[in-house]
Formats: sequence, C-alpha cells, structure tokens
Amino acid sequence: MDEMEDNTTVLSTLRSFNKFLSQPFDGTPPSANTSNTSGASLQMQFQQRFLLEDQAAQIRSKSHLIQVEREKIQMDLSHKRARIELEKEASANAMNYEREADKNQELLTRIKVLEEKEAESQSKLQEQSEMNKSYKKTIESQSKKLLEREDKLSEANEAISVLKGKVSELQLKIMNLEMQLKTQDTEKQELNEQLEIQRKKLQDGSQTAQVLQELQALNADYELKLKTLEQKLSTQEQDATIVKNMKSDLEKLPKIERELQQLREENSFLREMRENNALLKEEVESLRRASERYDRMKEELVTLELDKEKILKKLKCWENLEQTTGLSIKTPDDLSRQILAIQQREIKLKEENLSVINSARMLESARQNLQSELLKTQNNHLEEKKKREQHDALVRRLQKRVLLLSKERDGMRAILDSYDSELTPSEHTPQLSRRLREAEENLQRVHTHNAEMEVQLSQALEETGLQKQRAELLTAELSLLKSQMGTTEQSTSITSEAVNSMRLKIEELEAERGRLEEENKILEMRLERLSLQGSYDPSKVKVIHFSMNPASRAQQQRKEEVQNLQEECNKLRELVRILEGGTPVPDKLEAAGSIQTPIQEVTELKKQVESAELKNQRLREVFQTKIHEFRTVCYMLTGYRIDITTENQYRLTSMYAEHKDDNLLFKSTSPSGVKLQLLETSFSRTLKDFIDLHLHHQNSIPAFLSAVTLDLFSRQTFT
Amino acid sequence: MAAQVTKEGITLKGSAEIVSEFFYFGINSILYQRGIYPAETFTRAQKYGLTLLVSTDPDLKNYLNTVVEQLKDWLYKCQVQKLVVVITSIDNNEILERWQFDIECDKSVKDDSIVREKSPKVIQEEIRSVIRQITATVTFLPLLETACAFDLLIYTDKDSEVPEKWEESGPQFVSNSEEVRLRFFTTTIHKVNSMVAYKKIDC
Repeated sequence: MDEMEDNTTVLSTLRSFNKFLSQPFDGTPPSANTSNTSGASLQMQFQQRFLLEDQAAQIRSKSHLIQVEREKIQMDLSHKRARIELEKEASANAMNYEREADKNQELLTRIKVLEEKEAESQSKLQEQSEMNKSYKKTIESQSKKLLEREDKLSEANEAISVLKGKVSELQLKIMNLEMQLKTQDTEKQELNEQLEIQRKKLQDGSQTAQVLQELQALNADYELKLKTLEQKLSTQEQDATIVKNMKSDLEKLPKIERELQQLREENSFLREMRENNALLKEEVESLRRASERYDRMKEELVTLELDKEKILKKLKCWENLEQTTGLSIKTPDDLSRQILAIQQREIKLKEENLSVINSARMLESARQNLQSELLKTQNNHLEEKKKREQHDALVRRLQKRVLLLSKERDGMRAILDSYDSELTPSEHTPQLSRRLREAEENLQRVHTHNAEMEVQLSQALEETGLQKQRAELLTAELSLLKSQMGTTEQSTSITSEAVNSMRLKIEELEAERGRLEEENKILEMRLERLSLQGSYDPSKVKVIHFSMNPASRAQQQRKEEVQNLQEECNKLRELVRILEGGTPVPDKLEAAGSIQTPIQEVTELKKQVESAELKNQRLREVFQTKIHEFRTVCYMLTGYRIDITTENQYRLTSMYAEHKDDNLLFKSTSPSGVKLQLLETSFSRTLKDFIDLHLHHQNSIPAFLSAVTLDLFSRQTFT
Repeated sequence: MAAQVTKEGITLKGSAEIVSEFFYFGINSILYQRGIYPAETFTRAQKYGLTLLVSTDPDLKNYLNTVVEQLKDWLYKCQVQKLVVVITSIDNNEILERWQFDIECDKSVKDDSIVREKSPKVIQEEIRSVIRQITATVTFLPLLETACAFDLLIYTDKDSEVPEKWEESGPQFVSNSEEVRLRFFTTTIHKVNSMVAYKKIDC
C-alpha cells in the first residue's frame, strides 16, 4: 500500500514538476517585464521549486531504496535456495564419501583375496606352463601329422580332378552312345517304314498271300529276333558302360593300394607309438614305485630323526658326564687325541703287564726249581734221618753188645779169678796160660773192637752232628725258601691283581673307545648336518653379502611404506577426532587431505543454513502479519470472512450473520479455482430464492453474495 | 696343438668363469622357479642345452652381475667356500629357504699355467643335471605363500678383505629346517656341491 502511495506521489510530483516546467514559458515574459513587481513571488516560486525538487529527490531515493530492498530480498531468496541446494549437495557428498570409503574397504578385501588368488594362479600358471610345453610338443607333432595329411589331401584332390576329367570323358561317351541310339532309332523307324511298305506289298500281293503269310510269319520271327537283338544290343551297351566303370575302378586300384600302404605305415607307426606308450607306462609305474620307496625313505628318515634326537639326548648326557668327569672334550679332535693317549697308555700298560707276567713266570720257574731242590733236600734229610736212626740203632746195639761184652768180660774175669783162686797150682797152668792168653787175646780183640766201635760211634756221632747241622741248614734254607715262597706268592698275587685291574681298565678303555668312536661318528654326522644347514667356523670363515641386496631393499621399502601409512593413519585419526568433536579444523591439519575442503564447506553451509532459517522465520512472521492484515481488509471490504476448511473448499461467513454457524461452503472444481460450486449447508438451505435467481439464473456468485449480505444487513438494521 | 689344449683343458680362470656363469643361471632359475620375481619379467635363453629363464628386471640384473663378477674374482683367488641364496619373507623377515652351494677349491692350482684335463662337455652335462634338479625341487618344496625377497651370502676366508659396498652378515639359518642334498659338478679345480634347506611344514 505504501508503494502505491509512493508511486502516486511520484506521479503527482512529476505532474507538478511538469507544471512547474511549463510555467516559466508562460510566466517568463511577464516576469521579465515585471521583474520588480513580481520579485517576491519569484522568490516564493523558487522556494517552492526547491522544496518540490527536494521532495522529488527524497521520493526518488525512497523508491530507489525500496527497489534495492526488493532486489536484496530476491537475492536473499536465491541465496537461500542456493544454500539449501549446497547443503543437499554436501550431505550427498558426505554420503557418497561414506559409500566410497565402504567401497574402498570392500575393494581392499577384494584385493587381498585377489592377491591370494594371484599367488595360487601363479603356481597354477607354472604348472600350466609346463603343461603348455608338453602340449606344444604334442601340437608340433600333430602339426607334422597334419602336414602329412594335407599332402595326402592334395594328392586326393589331384585324383579327384583326374576322376572329374574321366567323368567328363564318360559323359562324352554317353552322349555318343545316345547319338548312336538315336541313329538306331531312326534306323528302326526306317525299318518300320519298310515293314509297312512290305505289309502294303503283302496286302497288295494278296495273291501270293500264302507265301506272304509264311513270309510274314518269318518276318514276325525276324522281328522277334530283331527285338531280341536290340535287347542284346542294349544289354551290351550296358555291359560296355559297366566294363568302363570297372576299368576306371581298376585304374583307381593302384592309388588305393598306395593309400593302403600309407595306412599300413601309419598303422605300424601307431603301433610303435603304442609300444612307446606302454614303455612310458612302465616307466611311470617304476617312477611310482620309486616315489613309494621315497615315501618309505621319508618315513625311515623320520624314524631316523627320532633316533637321532634320542642319540642327541644321549650325547648331551655324555657331554654332561664329560663335564662332571672334568675332561675337556669339546671337539672330536680332542676326543681322538684323548683316545690316542688312552690307547698309548693302554699299550704301555700292556707292555708293563707283559713284563710283569714274564717276571711272574720267571719267579714261578725259580720257585719250581726251589721246590724241586727242597724236595731233594727233604729227601736227603729223610735219608740222613734214616741213616742217623740206623746209626742210632747201631750205636744202641753196639752199646748193648759193649754192655754184653763188658758183662761177659766181667764174667770171664770172675771165672778167671775163680779159676785163679781155685787153680793156683800150675796143674793147669799151660792150659790156663793158654786160656788166659786166648782170653787176653780175646780181650784185646774185644778192646780193639770196642775201640773200633767207639771210633765208629764217634764217627757216627760226628756224622749225625754233621747231618744235624745240614738238616738245620736245610731247615733254615727251607724256611728261607718258605719265606721266599710267601713273598713270591704275595708278589704273584699282587701281580695277578694288577693284571686283573689292568684287564678291567683295558676293558673299560675299550668300551670307552667304542663309545668315543660312536660319539665321534655322531659328532661327524652332526657336523655334516650343521654344514648342510650352513653353519661355519667363525674363526676361519666369514659371511658377507652385498649391502644393497634385494631382500634388504624390499625390507626398506616395506618399512617406508609402513611409516607412510602410519603417518597417514595418524593424520586421519586426528582428523576424525576433530570432526567428531565438531571443532573447526586447525591449520596444521589442513594439508591432511582433500576431505578438508568439503568439511569447511559443510561448516560454511551450516552457517548459511542457519542464517537462511532465521530469515525464513522472519519472512514467515512478516507474511503472517501481512496475511492477517489482508484478511481483515478483505473482511472489511466484502463483508465475508473466507476460511479454507479442507483442500479446495472455502467457507464464507458473513459479517452480518445471525448465527455464528451460518456459513456458505464453496468448492473449486478446477485446480486454478476458475469454477466454484456452492455446497449445501444448513444456512444455504434458507437461501433457495437467491440461489435460484443469482446462481442458476444469472450465474454470478458475487451477485449472490452481495444479495445475501444485503438481505442479512437489512435484517439486522430492521431488527 | 695350443688350440687343442685350450679346448680340452681347464685352467683356473676358465674354471672360475664356468662356475660363476653357472651361479648366474642357477640363481636366475631359482628365482623363477620359486616365484620370487613375477614370471613375466623373465625371458628365455638357451644354455647348457636347456631353455633357461633369465630375468629382465634391470635392478636385479645389475645386482646379479656385480655379485657374479665379484664371485669370479674370489673363485680365481680360491677364497670362497660357500654361496648361499637365502629366501626370506618380506612380511615378517622369516627365512624360508636356503640354497647352499659349497665350493671346494683345489688350492694347489695357483695360476693358469696348470691345465686340468676334463672335457667341457662333461662339465656341461653335470651342470645341466644340477639345474634340472633345481627345477625338479619345486615338486617337493613347500609353496611360498607370502611375498618373498632373496639375498646372496658368500662365505669367504676370514683374512680376505671385504670390498666396497659389501658387508659382513649372519649365516641366516632356516629354523626348524629340512635339508636335501642335490647333485654336484666339478671342473676338477672347483667342485660345487648343492643343497637346499627349507622350513619344515608343521603337520
């Protein structure tokens, strides 16, 4: 409404301005003439003009301002739309981004799977390539065969061309035969004609009918013969063609034979192939057996390894034993050295043993000698003893005899005395003297004998003394020997003990040696195994490699990759954290990724959306106030309040309605609201006349409405 | 006569040449057979009467050439005991396979004046069988499931000097390994025993 007013003012000012402009043309000549009289009025006019101009300028600026405001509103609206669109786009972008991330993950998993597949396929490819090689070989052989077959085919083609030529020849022959047949047909026709002539002649020569009849019969026979001949001819022709075919077949035969030969060769070749195949099968079987043997070997290897482990354990035990025993055996060389030392010691001990045995034997032989000597001396001793006993007996006998003799002498003396006393006279002196002499002689003899005996006794006594001495000596010797024997026995026992101990030691050493040899073997095996595994003597050998080898390079690359990825991951984590926090992204992380810009955009767009919403609210408020104003004005001007109850239905309530519920319902049938229909209400039922008149008859809703208002107004004023 | 001698005899230099060449092709074969490098980076080459595969990767070629050249020098000086191809997993640095070539040098041969009589044909035959066996080992070696890289270790005398860009290393054993001894070949001056140790598969 203000605009309208403004416009009208502009128009009015324009008009006044135009007037003002037109005035000087009218007013200048009188003003020029009467400048003094009309000075005040001129001044007034000027002031008015100035005022008017000021007003005009103000109005213009106002209008301009309003236009600018409109433009601004339009701009804002467009801006809003743009922002909303941008927001949508941003959300769509975010969605897309999420989808892309999901896809990326999926693709990563797929890549992994594909990598695995690739590895598998590579192995397969290798196998396939090997297969391919074999196939290629077979293909080559096949191509060779194919070439051979192609050669054969060309030969066959040549044969076919030759056969075609023959066929054409045969066709020509057939043509000739046909020609001959035609000529024969013509001949036959001629003969028929002749026959007819002859028949005519026969008819003519009825006179010679009988002859002719005979002739006719003959003729018929001839005809028959002719027919048979013709048949024969045709059969002959057929035969000829058959013969020709046979000939061509016969011509083909050598070729067929050649082919047969080729086929036979092929057959033989194939048989050879089959034989080869069988050989190969045998080979395959042998290889299978070998593989089985190999498997068995593997099993054995496993068992051997188990054994080896056991042995290793034993070795460890042995090593521990070594440590406990205090022998410093660490290498097989040491062991062998020790073994050598032990063997040397053994040899020395053996030598000692032998010398000891020899000494023992010597001692034994000496002992035996001594024993024999002892026996001899004992025998001697016994003999001596016997002798001494004999001597003792002799001495006793002699002493007894001496006693007897002395008693005899005493007796003899007594007898003599008695004789002396009795026979003092020398009656018997000669006899007596003889007897005395004899007695004295006897006595002297006895004395001598006695003396001899005494000498003998003394001798015997001396001898016994000697013997005793000897016996004593011998006993002393014997005791000495006995003592010696004891010592020798002791020594022999000692030596035997030593020998036994030595033997035991030797046995132990032998056992040890065996063990050490086994260990040596085991250690050698271990050494070999270790050398197989690649161990080395660090005192003699060193291991070097090129510093930029592929493995280290690959490792380095991997490390770098991992580092990069970790950095990226950290950055992204930081970003995610920030985004989750909702705080603006710091400058540090601006370079983190391309996601940065959309995030900024999103925040900006959010801000824009907020401002747009604010504006929208304000606009709504403004619109509401305006609408309210418009409705009240409509109500005031038309006298009807129009409400929209449902879609396309409008309720009109008159200002002068008697009841609040008195209203009219209109429904728009077309979307643009061009056609309106009155719906029946309780109020409309009371207005039948108006409806008939204005709606049915005049077909004018405004007229109807105004009639209703007038009616209601008149009722109110009337009451 | 001289030509005959050079044809039939083997000198120290010639032996070093033969052995280092064998290593070049042998290592290439191992790398191809074990799939350390992709198969498409290999090209076919005729050698020892076999069709062998040789890498075309420029970095790898450069590395192998430098190592083999250095090895030849050491072989000539009889200073090398072993050459080992170690295959490690890139993921966890675990050693999975170890191809060991023990080299026995006849140290009595000091210069090229001594000529041993062995036909190159026979040596080639021996080398061929070794390489065939390397190819055949693929049938029983466990599949390398992870991405792998390889390294070449050379066992030399303790007193020999380490050249530039080379460094000392550990022996890099395969833990819990199984060993298989392969064939050998000899030039009468150098004898090369080959074997492979690989990680036992836990059943």
